[in-house]
Amino acid sequence: MKKIYVVAALLALVGLADALYLTIEHLTGQSVRCTIISGCSAVLSSPYAVVAGVPLAAIGAAAYFTVFSLAILTLFGYHWAGRIMRAMVITMFAISVWLMYLQAFVIREFCQYCLLSALITTTLLVVTVVAPRLVRGGAAV
Amino acid sequence: MKRILPFIIILVVLAVALGSAWYLTRTIPATPILGSQSPSSSSSQPPATPGSSIAQQQTTAPVQGVPGADPPHVLGPADAPIKLEEFGDFECPPCGMFHPILQQMHTEFGDKLQITFREFPLVPTHQHALAAASAAEAAGLQGKFWEMHDLLYEHQNDWKKEFDVRPIFEGYAKQIGIDVERYKRDMNGDLVAQRIFADGKRGHSLGVKGTPTVFMNGREVPFENLPADKLRVVIQNEMRGK
Repeated sequence: MKKIYVVAALLALVGLADALYLTIEHLTGQSVRCTIISGCSAVLSSPYAVVAGVPLAAIGAAAYFTVFSLAILTLFGYHWAGRIMRAMVITMFAISVWLMYLQAFVIREFCQYCLLSALITTTLLVVTVVAPRLVRGGAAV
Repeated sequence: MKRILPFIIILVVLAVALGSAWYLTRTIPATPILGSQSPSSSSSQPPATPGSSIAQQQTTAPVQGVPGADPPHVLGPADAPIKLEEFGDFECPPCGMFHPILQQMHTEFGDKLQITFREFPLVPTHQHALAAASAAEAAGLQGKFWEMHDLLYEHQNDWKKEFDVRPIFEGYAKQIGIDVERYKRDMNGDLVAQRIFADGKRGHSLGVKGTPTVFMNGREVPFENLPADKLRVVIQNEMRGK
């Protein structure tokens, strides 16, 4: 069971690095120029990239850092942290689904770093919420 | 110790994350979004001074590159001391924001400034970029490149999300008073394709990776210097150096 939290902590670290990178891109405007391979300029310059004046990527970085902290606390025996972490991961996954919808149907551009974040959140959901339930369900049978 | 170890780990990660973010935001120059600058600022802006917000390196080293489409689309006299060459994509939002800035510079500097536009449609990032470039070049074959260029940029939001842009562009062709049947033939013709290809080849030879990319007298103007207030100072400084 401990392995789950080690994996979750590592995934959250990757997500944190990704979100931090996107925050810096947003704040410095490096993605504002259109480039051959990146749809990030359209995504980061869209009105959906900011919530109440705060870059969405910065909120994502804070969320990944919180998941990392909760996973570490759970690993060290603070079991209450595991429940909060799972609730956070479910919320982050729901937000990721919404952001994917916005990229696909509203902005009509995909940013590869946003896609990576969605992949990490989905993996976090599988590792911390879905897989343990399946294991428990299998054991019950 | 075991009870405080997780908090130490968390604090270390927090410090590393904040430290990296701080370092990177300091080393990468901040770039305001084009168009967020006041377009109505007068030309009597103060020149760049040490410590001003103009990037220290106002342009990069001069580059030559292969020739682009010939003849190029040029505004302003050939003997202008300042020659700006823009690589643009009509579907790119920052290029659309840069369009009024360049118009403003053209008005402010008049005969001292020559502007050249080069096609650099970002395919496949922008689905209609190539069609828009073709429309502008086809209009150019009838001597109305800049009229189509202006319409494409000014109405960018009207067409870029449409499925089929051809009828919209044909409407623009009618609006600027060119022969629409010839325009339609030229849109898909070899000459237009060759011109776009030649401009793209020139862009690649100059190391253009995105749009808008602007060269001033053969040296690239960093993207952070493209907002109106900064570009004006960069041009003024270049004129002073002449």
